[in-house]
Amino acid sequence: MPPVASLFVRYVDRLNYGIGRVVMLGIFIMVGILLWSSISKTFFLPSYWTLEVAQFAMVAYYMLGGAYSIQLGSNVRMDLFYGEWSNKKKAKVDAFSVFCLIFYLGVLLYGAVESTAYSFEYSERSPTAWRPVLWPIKTIMVVGVFLMLLQAISELLKDVAKIRNVEL
Amino acid sequence: MSYNLIAILMFSTMMLMLMTGQRVFGAIGAVAALAGLTLWGVGGSDIPFASAMKLMKWYPLLTLPMFIFMGYVLSESKIADDLYKMFHVWMGPLNGGLAIGTIGLMVLVSAMNGLSVAGMAIGATIALPELLRRGYDKKMVTGVIQAGSSLGILVPPSVVLVLYAMIARQPVGQLWLAGVVPGLMMAAMFIIYISIRCWINPSLGPALPKEERIFTVREKLRLLRAGILPLAIFAAMMVPFVNGWTSLVESSAIGAMTAFAAAVLKRRMNREVFEVSVRQTLAISCMFMWIILAALGFGAVFDGLGAVKSIENVFIEQMHLDPWTILILMQLSFLIMGTFLDDTAMLVIVAPLYVPLVQALGFDLIWYGILYTITTQVAYMTPPFGYNLFLMRAMAPPEITLRDIYGSIIPFVGVMILALALVMIFPEIALWLPNYVYGK
Repeated sequence: MPPVASLFVRYVDRLNYGIGRVVMLGIFIMVGILLWSSISKTFFLPSYWTLEVAQFAMVAYYMLGGAYSIQLGSNVRMDLFYGEWSNKKKAKVDAFSVFCLIFYLGVLLYGAVESTAYSFEYSERSPTAWRPVLWPIKTIMVVGVFLMLLQAISELLKDVAKIRNVEL
Repeated sequence: MSYNLIAILMFSTMMLMLMTGQRVFGAIGAVAALAGLTLWGVGGSDIPFASAMKLMKWYPLLTLPMFIFMGYVLSESKIADDLYKMFHVWMGPLNGGLAIGTIGLMVLVSAMNGLSVAGMAIGATIALPELLRRGYDKKMVTGVIQAGSSLGILVPPSVVLVLYAMIARQPVGQLWLAGVVPGLMMAAMFIIYISIRCWINPSLGPALPKEERIFTVREKLRLLRAGILPLAIFAAMMVPFVNGWTSLVESSAIGAMTAFAAAVLKRRMNREVFEVSVRQTLAISCMFMWIILAALGFGAVFDGLGAVKSIENVFIEQMHLDPWTILILMQLSFLIMGTFLDDTAMLVIVAPLYVPLVQALGFDLIWYGILYTITTQVAYMTPPFGYNLFLMRAMAPPEITLRDIYGSIIPFVGVMILALALVMIFPEIALWLPNYVYGK
């Protein structure tokens, strides 16, 4: 494998691992926001921002954590046939079928960038009482999809290395 | 090309892509993106991302990470051990008593949890080895645990019903209440089935020997305290929700916090438990979210094609079927699809197709939600593609082979289909409680 490929795989994996390890603690942020929401609702005035902040937190959680979840191998596959194959055959089929994942993420990224550009230009706001601007969360989504795309390419390179029987 | 043909083409392409074993969300998403692009050009390229924005606005989806986290805390910290011991001592003297106790355990775990994963983990790691050691028939107990844990999605809180509620635009509270009686009924049917089997053939589930039953009444009563924990967690979640103090999502956060606090108080929250439950919560939540995201895109293209209208048209106008036949056909097709489609994806793809059809036929959508969930339960368990089967294979001790696992579910699937038929014929089973509480 060309050295640039192994560098790519190493850095992308390390980057996404690092981000994933931080993002996974986001579950406590979500719990915290929702607990505050229930406390303030029961005892004080209900907060009007908690709902949307919790939604933003969840979007950031699964968008930024997605790449790490690919590393963990938690994305289900239909293993009717896949489960029976040897590791090498899995790598071979994956090396082709991963392009549909890359294609999907590419289209997703295209839509995300366009929508984010729109949000910046017109400082789009959410149509709720709190009216938060939407570009921050959309930017996070762009970053998340981009990281997923990098991880998908990294998976492809790993499969190619496996097929060629070389170390990355 | 007619729209019907495009819809069929999309569906079969997706099936083919899934067969390659690529990650499910990638396969579904790619078909959606490709169809969007070819049908509507540049305008269609927005479809995948538009579903991401739609997903963000689905507020109840926040319950998903909460319940997953709760499930992992409960199963990893092993605070359910005491519960198992309680059933063990109380039910042990009966023939098949431990298997019956396991169903009871599963009902309690289901009441603390919205998915079947936690019940599966607790059943396979705590109950299963113990049952095998007592000489229970391995095929029967494997089935017991799989069937019992599937109650997790029918007994409230249920994540599947939350997803359904969002798609069908029905109140989650009523759906959850509607799940209570069918869930308990199904548990009772499992128990009856086990009792009959063990009554005819006691060697399937031998009673505990005399020397192991030397518990005094006092000790027995003390063990009942283990039951307080699930009741407390359930109450902490459901009381504020049913009284309208907190919303559904807030309640789920309270539940997650209570489970976490219980694990800390019982000194079971060590580094490893923390690590596994937090990491797995991210992994499983991401898996769900990305599949839902991709499936929403797929559904949006389907909607754009008007596929639902044309299916409705074929059934009602061209084939002149009566509503009940259509409903039964729908459940059958759902069952068949469930055996080889991914369960989460099916949930998000099939529901938007079926729900408008059910409504057009004039059926109650709360009631259909329960039918839908029971069908999903069956789909969870039937080979070759079922979460419970996979989980069982991963968690069960080595003496349980794949053959055992596949064979074990047959009678329980039969019981579940019987329950499905009962709820279909007598809608009151599901609708009585929500109507009573909400005074319809």
